[in-house]
Amino acid sequence: MTTNEMYDNTINELRRGVIVLAVLSQLDEAQYGYSLLKLLSDQGLALDQGTLYPLLRRLESQGLLKSDWKIEESRPRRYYIISPEGQEMLPRLKEEWNRIVSMMDGMLG
Amino acid sequence: MNLIERYVTEVGKYLPRRSRADIEAELRSTLEDMLEDRSQQAHRPVDEAMVTALLEEYGSPKKVAASYGHAQYLIGPRLYPTFMLVLQIVAFAVVLGLTIATAIAFVKTNMTPPEVLKTLGEFALNLLGGLIQAFGNVVLVFAILERVLPPSELEDKETWTPAELIKEPHPDEVKIGEMIAGIVFTMAFLLVFNFYPEIVGIWLTDNGALTQAAGLSEAFFRYLPFINISGLLTIALYIYLLRNRFWTAATRWTHIAIELIGIAIAYSMLQGPSLLKLFPMSTNTELQATLTQIFDRMVPFILLLVIILSGIEIVKTLVRLVRPAKTSLPFQK
Repeated sequence: MTTNEMYDNTINELRRGVIVLAVLSQLDEAQYGYSLLKLLSDQGLALDQGTLYPLLRRLESQGLLKSDWKIEESRPRRYYIISPEGQEMLPRLKEEWNRIVSMMDGMLG
Repeated sequence: MNLIERYVTEVGKYLPRRSRADIEAELRSTLEDMLEDRSQQAHRPVDEAMVTALLEEYGSPKKVAASYGHAQYLIGPRLYPTFMLVLQIVAFAVVLGLTIATAIAFVKTNMTPPEVLKTLGEFALNLLGGLIQAFGNVVLVFAILERVLPPSELEDKETWTPAELIKEPHPDEVKIGEMIAGIVFTMAFLLVFNFYPEIVGIWLTDNGALTQAAGLSEAFFRYLPFINISGLLTIALYIYLLRNRFWTAATRWTHIAIELIGIAIAYSMLQGPSLLKLFPMSTNTELQATLTQIFDRMVPFILLLVIILSGIEIVKTLVRLVRPAKTSLPFQK
């Protein structure tokens, strides 16, 4: 493994945990996969589909998201929205995130 | 558009059937959304070059399917350590068995140097074949276990405390290693007697060639269906026990019933005609006669041993039924 690959792997691992929080935070309004992807990328978090779609399915199976197929513009789309369980968990996740940020700030100086 | 359909179908091939249609539908709608977006940005209608570029970017179907993270294990990480342990035991048994058989052939016959070389060559070939076959059988058993055992099994130790390290095992708890070893050996036994019964018997070197001096008689095969039933029942019971982790009155009675079937088979074998038959040999006939006599006496001895061991198992199981364990279940608070 080259240094670059190791760097990429480490960055991916760092981002992996953040992505869940980012996705949950953006789904208080229903979004379909592609619109969510654009919404996140507009705010600076560029994900590829291979990361986002499986994550959405996983969060749904964990009960943090709900999804529905809706037909519009002649095309069915799957809309995701945060579930009551997810809504309940989000503030606690935010709190933990803030704690991590200030802890790491202190650690990295 | 045809290309997108093909792409979606190709991705679907690598997805588990359960979620395939759903993932395919979502992928199709995403690709169409992306195409629409690109077409608007490029101010031209969707064309094949655009589709090709998009699919290339989206990645190979295999990679896309893999991103959905359905790890497809033949033998997963939770069973792997036990699998390796059983594999080592079985491999050791194969090597030991074949080495002893070859050593006996060396001692019993006076071989010329070319014959020695030939026997050694056959030993190497048999060893290779035996090891591959043993490996295949163990893999088969564990691949089945991987699919039969519920996902939480063997890893739901949430309430684990260091106290468990020194605690006596709960008397009703199923010993996983024992069950798995039982399944592997019962399967190996059934496979040999059903599919390779011709290798069972006494082997001698006849004029330098390894020849079978005695094998299983017709009488044996009349018992085979009953042996199979009892073996399959044993495997079924052990798998059930592995899933449930604790013995219950019902499983103990089933265990007793299966042991009784075993005793009945062994008893009627004892009463019936010889289970061995002789094969004609050109030389070594004297040795053949002596060995067969010894084995003919050994068979009843083995059958008696089976009856006694089964009897002990039944008594042990009955004791457990009469005197239920007093301690609380180790995983209950």
